[in-house]
Amino acid sequence: MPIQTPFYPRTSALNKNLDWKEWAGYFAANSYNVVNDFEYFAFRHSAGLVDITPLFKYKVSGKDSMMFLSRLMVKDISKLKLNQATYCCWCDDRGMVIDDGTVMRFGDNDYFVTAADPSYSWFSRFIKKLDVQIEDITDTYCGLALQGPKSRDILKRMCDANLDKLKFFWTTSAKADGFDFKISRTGYTGDLGYELWVKNENALKLFDAVWSAGQDFNIRMAGIAALDIVRIEAGLIMNGVDYHSSLHALIPEQMSSPYELGLGWTVNLDRDPFMGQKALKLEKKNGSKWATVGIDINWPDLEALYKNLGLPPHVDSGAWRHSVPIYHKQHKSKQIGYATCGTWSPLLKKNLAIATIEMEYATPGTEVNFEVMVEHHRKLVSAIVCKPQFFNPDRKRSIL
Amino acid sequence: MSKFDVIVIGGGHNGLTTASILAKKGKKVLVVEKRNILGGIAAGEEFHPGYSTTGLLHDTSGVRSQVVKDLQLEKHGLDIKSNRANVTLLSKDGKSVSIQSDVNATVEAISEFSEKDAQAYSAYQEFLKKISKVINDLMENPPPNIDVENLTMGSLVVLAKKGMMLKGLGNKTMMELLKIAPMCVADFLNEKFETEFLKAGLAAPALYGSYAGPWSAYSTINLLLWESASKNHVIGGPQALIAALQKAAIQAGVEIRTGAEVEKILLDNEGKVEGVKLSGGEAIYASKVAASCTPKETFLNLFDNFQLEYELDYWIDKIRSRGTTAKVNLAINKTVELNGRITEFARTGNSFDEMEKAFDPVKYKQVTNAPYLDIHIPTHSNPSLAPEGHSVVSVLVHQIPYDFKKGWSVDAKKQLGEHVLKELEVYSPGFSKAVVGIEILSPTDFEERYSLTEGHIYHGEHFVDQLVTRPIPSCSRYKTPVSGLYLCGSGSHPGGGITCAPGSMAAIEIIK
Amino acid sequence: MSKKYDAIIIGGGHNGLINAAYLAKAGKSVLVLEKRHVLGGAAVSEEVFPGFTFSVCSYVVSLFRPHIIRELNLVKHGYDIIPMDASFQPLPDDDFGLCKWGDASLTRREIARFSKKDSEVYGEFSKVMTHMAKLAKEVIDHPAPDVASINPKELSSLLRMGKVFKNLGPELLQMNTKLLTMSSADFLDLWFESEVLKGPMAVSGIIGTFLGVRSPGTAYVLLHHYMGELDGAFRSWGFSKGGTGGVSMACANAARSYGAEIRTNVNVSHVKIVNGKATGVILANGDEIDSKIVVSNLDPNRTYLKMIGEDNLSPNIATEIKRFKLRGSSGKVNFALSGVPNFSKKRKGLEYMKGDIAIVPNVDYVEKAYDQAKYGEFSEKPYINIVIPSLTDPTLAPPGKHVMSCFVQYAPFNIKEGPEYWPKLADKFGDAVQNTIKEYVPDIDSLVEHRQVVTPWDLQETFGLTEGNIFQGELTLEQLLFQRPISGYAKYKTPIRNLWMSGSGTHPGGGIMGSGGELSAKSILKEKVI
Repeated sequence: MPIQTPFYPRTSALNKNLDWKEWAGYFAANSYNVVNDFEYFAFRHSAGLVDITPLFKYKVSGKDSMMFLSRLMVKDISKLKLNQATYCCWCDDRGMVIDDGTVMRFGDNDYFVTAADPSYSWFSRFIKKLDVQIEDITDTYCGLALQGPKSRDILKRMCDANLDKLKFFWTTSAKADGFDFKISRTGYTGDLGYELWVKNENALKLFDAVWSAGQDFNIRMAGIAALDIVRIEAGLIMNGVDYHSSLHALIPEQMSSPYELGLGWTVNLDRDPFMGQKALKLEKKNGSKWATVGIDINWPDLEALYKNLGLPPHVDSGAWRHSVPIYHKQHKSKQIGYATCGTWSPLLKKNLAIATIEMEYATPGTEVNFEVMVEHHRKLVSAIVCKPQFFNPDRKRSIL
Repeated sequence: MSKFDVIVIGGGHNGLTTASILAKKGKKVLVVEKRNILGGIAAGEEFHPGYSTTGLLHDTSGVRSQVVKDLQLEKHGLDIKSNRANVTLLSKDGKSVSIQSDVNATVEAISEFSEKDAQAYSAYQEFLKKISKVINDLMENPPPNIDVENLTMGSLVVLAKKGMMLKGLGNKTMMELLKIAPMCVADFLNEKFETEFLKAGLAAPALYGSYAGPWSAYSTINLLLWESASKNHVIGGPQALIAALQKAAIQAGVEIRTGAEVEKILLDNEGKVEGVKLSGGEAIYASKVAASCTPKETFLNLFDNFQLEYELDYWIDKIRSRGTTAKVNLAINKTVELNGRITEFARTGNSFDEMEKAFDPVKYKQVTNAPYLDIHIPTHSNPSLAPEGHSVVSVLVHQIPYDFKKGWSVDAKKQLGEHVLKELEVYSPGFSKAVVGIEILSPTDFEERYSLTEGHIYHGEHFVDQLVTRPIPSCSRYKTPVSGLYLCGSGSHPGGGITCAPGSMAAIEIIK
Repeated sequence: MSKKYDAIIIGGGHNGLINAAYLAKAGKSVLVLEKRHVLGGAAVSEEVFPGFTFSVCSYVVSLFRPHIIRELNLVKHGYDIIPMDASFQPLPDDDFGLCKWGDASLTRREIARFSKKDSEVYGEFSKVMTHMAKLAKEVIDHPAPDVASINPKELSSLLRMGKVFKNLGPELLQMNTKLLTMSSADFLDLWFESEVLKGPMAVSGIIGTFLGVRSPGTAYVLLHHYMGELDGAFRSWGFSKGGTGGVSMACANAARSYGAEIRTNVNVSHVKIVNGKATGVILANGDEIDSKIVVSNLDPNRTYLKMIGEDNLSPNIATEIKRFKLRGSSGKVNFALSGVPNFSKKRKGLEYMKGDIAIVPNVDYVEKAYDQAKYGEFSEKPYINIVIPSLTDPTLAPPGKHVMSCFVQYAPFNIKEGPEYWPKLADKFGDAVQNTIKEYVPDIDSLVEHRQVVTPWDLQETFGLTEGNIFQGELTLEQLLFQRPISGYAKYKTPIRNLWMSGSGTHPGGGIMGSGGELSAKSILKEKVI
């Protein structure tokens, strides 16, 4: 049975839907209300609060920690300044992605790493004679994601941190009523937002401070379901959904490189050796087989299919996570890729998906055919390949 | 800053073999040896004033005739006989039997206590003769170049089968081989023989350097390999081989530096070998490096973290090389007889149960009170190794764990020495009183003195998955995934023991 | 008694019954003869004490082939398996013990109490093993290819078997060689550091063999634990409703539904052989029953040396069959309990005890148990695999009471005093088991109402398993595939024409899989001998 996060006394009281799912061995709220549109709109209009404790969290310290992380990650961690954060992934020898997460630098030799999968054993394998200590703090630290246009205002009310100048992907220490915590301007919504990290014993204090400060700003608890919609709009991929860790893949076809996942921008190739460097250099030179793209599914096409049956158009209300085939524009029996997740965007009024597609069809603007299920029958509608980032507001990066 | 074609790490028998062959082919070769003497575990050493051994190991039966020929070692003073040396198997009840290269003589000797065993021995030798061709073929050539990417288990079996058929093995012998290969040596010999000490003595070589007792499955393979490969006998022991190899090397133009310990193997920007750095800081450059030290020493100690591909690092780390051998060198003030016989080589063992009981404690990192011994008395053939009328008794004690729980303190070693003396006393009453000097080397001493990882005398256990694709598949043909780096020691095919085979086959690969 | 059957099957164990069902389904007239009063052989349920029903020998069902369930419509005939969730390991110095669950995250947390690294590697290990289990599945679902043959068809079946290795890549191939040859303890050392975690994992490599966890060649049996996933069932281990005999009864019912005749209390003396051909059986009372073929479900030793008789065998074959190693190494102790035993001082509820409970606190523990057995004694501190099926199936015991079934290793058939001395040791052996359990369940003595001790001698004398080997022959590499039971006769045939075999002593081997019975029947039908 999954266990409860330290926030459970509060989150369970607020959950009106008893809709919990398992996330990395913890209970996580999938939604807090029967109708969860409000959770979604909180992210985009006011502020949504998500319990992100189940993320795997590691403290990496020691004299060699900077070098160690630089060798492990595709990104050059030695460039990371004090209090800076970065998003990156890590690979195996074959340049295939194992997991992705954020690395934050809290001290000279003090790094904080988040991951989707348990990573302690993988990281530990490379310590050997290096002066590096890895501490799994997953069960001793907890996290809240406060995301949305009003998140800054809420935080300013409950702590002393200077948030006006805190830039996107930077972190700061903060003090509130009787406890310390860390703030990182990071998130999984593609919006203005922060993630708050605190020791378990101060979990409820942190929660109560944020919650009461948020009351004037229409703060809402948000579950995984709403989070899934916003992360797809933001074009953020997910381990286990949009790709599989190469440590879990059974056959090479199930593995992906950073380039194939659209994470080429996180790779710093020309530097001291790092895990996967050789293979990634080769792939950079020879090109990748697959690409991760956004798919904008033609709405009038879908509407027409329903109209033929005498029905109004229908889409699922939340995000979906399963494989849907994508076919060639002309040769309709030729599969050229597959969507891994998608959603109706309540804000953009678009039917969107994230897809893995053969490289030659990955250019934005390419027309493809997308499979839809209309009243128990498989049909094709046209769709356009685009960059996966469907929604990217200025406020995400703005400083005051 | 002189530049060499090849730097060979380690001046043992394999390192010298590789160096000499390369130099003869016109390469500019440097051998760097950590110790102040050449020879590694084949080096003869004075262990007590006036008393010397002929090497840490003493079995020279596996020395490859081809190497002797190629390097003209006989011209350089090597006296090698194409017969195995006689070995006396000892029983605690005073019985003994001499296993000789002459089968008929051995059969006659066995028939003195068991007619059944005498006949069985003769049949056993016939069987060994039949299969030795196939086995030698495997051991005397580099491992088959198998396209690993497209390999299937089935195709492997088919291949192996075709191979065996071609070698003229009948279907029946082949099926018998398949039946016995996975067996433990105890089951295998129990099917044939009845006399306990004979079985135990015949089985002993299967267990040398392995983490196994006679009841451990697959030990039969090791026995068959040893029986098939053991054909020769170097007069003067391993050190005589080293002396000849050294002369051959020098004549071929090999440069030799002793007292030169390699700290790192140097790589250039593209990850190619460019030389070695000595522990003093001196860098020596060469486009190729051949390492005769253990694979684990080579990859895990001579490179920095992350320098190697993870996959390589991972598999090297998984090599099993749990040392199970210790050495006791004894200076004796008289001529030594064992069970009333003068013999240069002898083995104890008595019974499978006793041997198994000697192995049992190893599993729990403990040391047996009753070890079985592999004895060499070199002074019988070379009295100059000790003062006149005195003897050197050099004993390899198997099933002594490297990772002894209590640690290999001076006291622990002393205790081991006492156990060995107690055993010897059984076969040679009054032995202990004749001891004038003793040197006890634990597996940790092996590691310290000879850089043998975990004190393993064969650079890695001889076990099915670590044979042929030795030490790991990607390094199994002497070449390694590190461009310019080759392996040429016992950690490579066909394995450990004083054979010079890995050294010579590696040299051929390097020239390619 | 003039009826001539198409086939007589000697031995009403699950393989014999499956064999009968397949033959009968194909329209053959089939007679099954069972020596005991109950069917099932070692897969049997018996009410040993009033109100308490035990799976006397085999106690869990794991690899029963799903296609046999489909093809023989076994569910209709009563096949009903209750899956096991937990796997618990009590520890002497840790009141919480270690429990592994179907829930991967929960298992990770449990293991992390002993090693954080191992808790994460556990999943990775499962992945690799599942991948490699493809081979094992390929092996058990087909007759063994004949390596000695140069028939291209045989070679191609070898190649087919090899094809599952495609895509494994060199690393997994290397891992596979290691798996096939190494000891289970050594193999697990490649992955894990916790001796606690490795204990019960390593043990799965030695069940039913006279080998230790450090004996080479024991690692590959680990695969069996990962094969269930390939059958499309997440949890493949389970209890048969009403005891393991339920499986045999379902097979018997299926056989009868297809028209097979089954008789119990019929003791076959030997096979009737005329001109080198089997023509029926001769019973202990002298009666003869004729048939076109005879299928022996007995172990190879009994089949060759008793049913055929050494006189009818060439010396070579007789020698080979005598080389076939049986060496039973285990016994069973079955307890009737007045209440629930509590194996953990700290755990609440009963869930953790509803699967199996393994007394093997670490690797050395079970190796030391083996060391003792090697020299002819039963282990004073044995490995015990305990199940309390009445927790999930209350019909097995009176209300509030329980049956506790203990598989115990090592109990070597060949003890110092000689195997026939076992009956005198039975009580001592039972005490050793009970005392070992007492270290975890201090009040066990007061809970025990009855105790049944099944020694290897009993397995031979009562259940007809030579030397008490539960798998009808050791599952070591040289006794598998084309060498099970002996090379040249690994395809269910024997040197006697029209005499076939179908038991665990044939390919692919022991356990309640049903493969021997099925593959044998299919081979018989394919050859159209009847």
